Amino acid sequence: MVGIVVISHSAKVAEGVKAMADQMADKSVSIIACGGIENGELGTDPMKIMEALIRANSGDGVVVLVDLGSAVLSTYTALELLDKEERRLIKIADAPLIEGAICASVQASGGFSVNEVAAAAESARSMLKL
Amino acid sequence: MVQENMVLTNELGLHARPASALTKIALKYKSNVTLQGNGKTVDAKSIIMVMTMGVKGGCPLIVIADGPDELECMAAIQDLVENKFYEE
Repeated sequence: MVGIVVISHSAKVAEGVKAMADQMADKSVSIIACGGIENGELGTDPMKIMEALIRANSGDGVVVLVDLGSAVLSTYTALELLDKEERRLIKIADAPLIEGAICASVQASGGFSVNEVAAAAESARSMLKL
Repeated sequence: MVQENMVLTNELGLHARPASALTKIALKYKSNVTLQGNGKTVDAKSIIMVMTMGVKGGCPLIVIADGPDELECMAAIQDLVENKFYEE
């Protein structure tokens, strides 16, 4: 089953998004919150992200949801720290964080591939709220 | 193609957990599944669209399934709705 990593500059945001996604996904979907940097300040830490990516990967791959700006750069750095085989099935979804995480976790519950789970997250981009 | 007119008998309607339960069932089948309610028509396989419908408890919901396993799919959705999404 595809795992999900939620990356935010804020640990609280990452935990909150994970809580919302957990409520809607099957319990078998691994959703890892990865927010903030070591001293509790706002930021993203490539080492922490790398560990989250490894933990979330059961062998079927990982879809990564990111919040803003350097979250993407830190994720690219984390990917470079992994070996080629570990990196192969990890996809960053170009999607809004909360909506994307919920779409991805429900899709992952259905046992879909990493590309299908990422596509579900990205489908949230076009959603209008009103 | 099969169509069923249902009524949501659970208190909260298609809020987060019931919506995800319905979407997860729709995703299990090959058939296309469309929901109509609250003046909107959406793809049941998209959790975000199902939640955005805003169908409340007591409101009608039309379910349309179209594909090779449409009957099994419809039966599963009917079971979920009739049992109040197994929540109450």
